[in-house]
Amino acid sequence: MKIAWPHMGSIEVAMTTILDELGLDYVLPPPSSNRTMQLGVKAGPEFACFPLKTTLGNYIEALEAGADTLVMIAGRGPCRFGFYAEMHRRILSELGYEFRMVTLEFHLNDLPLMARNIRYLKQGKPLRAVYQALKFGLAKAVAVDHIERQALHQRYLDLERGTTSAALRKAYRKMRDVSDYAGLPGAQRECLEMLAAVPKREVHDPVKIGIVGEFYMVLEPFFNLDIEEQLGNMGAYVERNIWLTDWIRPTGNNPIGGHHDRESEAAASPYLTHSVGGEGIHTIGYTVIYAREGFDGVVHVLPFTCMPETIAKAILPVVSRDVGIPVISLVIDEQSGKAGVETRLEAFVDLARSRRRHASRQT
Amino acid sequence: MIVGIPSGLLFYRYFPLWKSFLEELGADVLESGETTRSILSRGVTRCENDSCLPVKVFYGHALALKDKVDALFIPRIVSVEKRTHTCPKMLGLPDMIRLAEDGMPPIIAPTIDFHEGFWRNYKAVYQLGSSFTRDPRRILRAGISSWERHRAYRNHLAQGLKPRDAMNGDGQKLSDGRVLKIAVIGHHYNVFDSFTTMSLLDRLQGMDVDVVTSDMIPEEVQRAELRSLPKDIYWSYEREVVGSVLACVRRKMVDGVIFMISFACGPDSILQVVCEQERKAAGNLPMMCMVIDEHTGEGGFITRIEAFVDMLRRKKLQELRETRVA
Repeated sequence: MKIAWPHMGSIEVAMTTILDELGLDYVLPPPSSNRTMQLGVKAGPEFACFPLKTTLGNYIEALEAGADTLVMIAGRGPCRFGFYAEMHRRILSELGYEFRMVTLEFHLNDLPLMARNIRYLKQGKPLRAVYQALKFGLAKAVAVDHIERQALHQRYLDLERGTTSAALRKAYRKMRDVSDYAGLPGAQRECLEMLAAVPKREVHDPVKIGIVGEFYMVLEPFFNLDIEEQLGNMGAYVERNIWLTDWIRPTGNNPIGGHHDRESEAAASPYLTHSVGGEGIHTIGYTVIYAREGFDGVVHVLPFTCMPETIAKAILPVVSRDVGIPVISLVIDEQSGKAGVETRLEAFVDLARSRRRHASRQT
Repeated sequence: MIVGIPSGLLFYRYFPLWKSFLEELGADVLESGETTRSILSRGVTRCENDSCLPVKVFYGHALALKDKVDALFIPRIVSVEKRTHTCPKMLGLPDMIRLAEDGMPPIIAPTIDFHEGFWRNYKAVYQLGSSFTRDPRRILRAGISSWERHRAYRNHLAQGLKPRDAMNGDGQKLSDGRVLKIAVIGHHYNVFDSFTTMSLLDRLQGMDVDVVTSDMIPEEVQRAELRSLPKDIYWSYEREVVGSVLACVRRKMVDGVIFMISFACGPDSILQVVCEQERKAAGNLPMMCMVIDEHTGEGGFITRIEAFVDMLRRKKLQELRETRVA
């Protein structure tokens, strides 16, 4: 059994740790590339949302590399994400691949199915070992999120462009190689020190930009055209509302992002009073929160035809006007080009910066 | 008090219910009528450009009513059946319309959610009623009589009347025992909006074709077909669409299927693949997927429909001839 899963930000670190701990075999699909996208776009339905196509591309490349068991989270809506696994299974079978799709449905009614699938995945390993592996993997993911956040916060200070990103890549590798639970805090500290050691320049009163949006697009650097890095390189202090471990945490408190789900729902309530699936309501909520915290602009990333985020996008102009924060919505699909996004972001950061200067001059 | 009901999205499904409930409580109900060119273009300019066509049309209807009414009635329909959801656009609809333009009238938006059980919904409806009248008996009466209206309306639809005719309870039936029978399947708002579909139903009748809509396929049949799918479909109205397509292609109830999809419809975009695959597995009944948006040209649209109908007719006549010889 060779397990594979699609790329999404730093999920690789957690997944490889869990599977290594359990001694299970896996295949990493080649890093996402234009080929991935083209494969997915060709095989996927025409106006399905973009992540469906990119993950489909990842799966195709994983199957080509010898995977035979594909793992995917599924759900019960209202967003299309809950149906991804079934779509992937149907499309890939039609293309003639042989594999088994294992879905993890985090829903009370589907617990028996989930138990069955986990039993299949663990291949006779004791449940205790599974628990240990999950604990280790998730703890590692939390540590990685902390490191990622540090990199996000300091990238604008780089004396030499790209040094923080290079240190972050090294940190990923280092974290991946940590082999026992006890070694985690030390490794995390070392990684943070590595980031702290990056030569920095002095910046007074940087322009502050928040990133909100659909979780896959925010987390996956290849397909969101590296907006995090782009913004950092333009000299902006960047914050984002989506973090991998916050997202999978069932309780709703977000230790990495720092705001409880209820907080952002309350912040969104004058504009959107009911959850619309996905992160729609949090996109609105965090825009308000960022405005309150003195940010100068919000970048909203969403895949083309995403249902919840399209609703958020329809409401955001009103929010932007009401709370007084510029918002740019970047709709991303297979047609998006890095240069075009870069130009728009540059203009946006310039606007935010001049707003900030103007405001500080008046006070 | 004049309450406006925009004639888009779930209008085609629940208008008689909403109307009779509100009227029993003493409100005047004003609907925005059939979609027109100006309603559509108003909606398209105001609405978020990535939204699906029916939402844009709905914006247009709501804006058309804006200055004529004291309030707009746009219920937030979260779920109409346990373990299912409606589309996210319907969850966000009252908020989207409220913020569509400055000076929108107040929105009456009771939340209907069958995950929450019967009593929560009863309370939501009761609360809605109590903003009109203080007499609880009147609210109850209004509820019961409007539900009867709704049942009668759905019955008329099932007998093959078009929505406007079904509201009056009388009119020409879509199905009339003609030789060629084509199913037009899709969401109510994609099939019954005669402007955005360029009067597809009338045109098909003009071509001497019997039309079957998803309302005319019994619910039990749809459900039975859905049961064979490996994963439950969790969108309430999508279940009807897919169930109808499956019933048509597997039970050969019709000679061909026209699957009406509006551009950027989330659920349809992926379930179209499910329908296509099931159709191929069940013996390749001809099916045409028509994706419409605000740019769809009438010429191209009609040509495709005509070609499809001609093809089906030729096939049917050939079949009839062969059976006669045998």
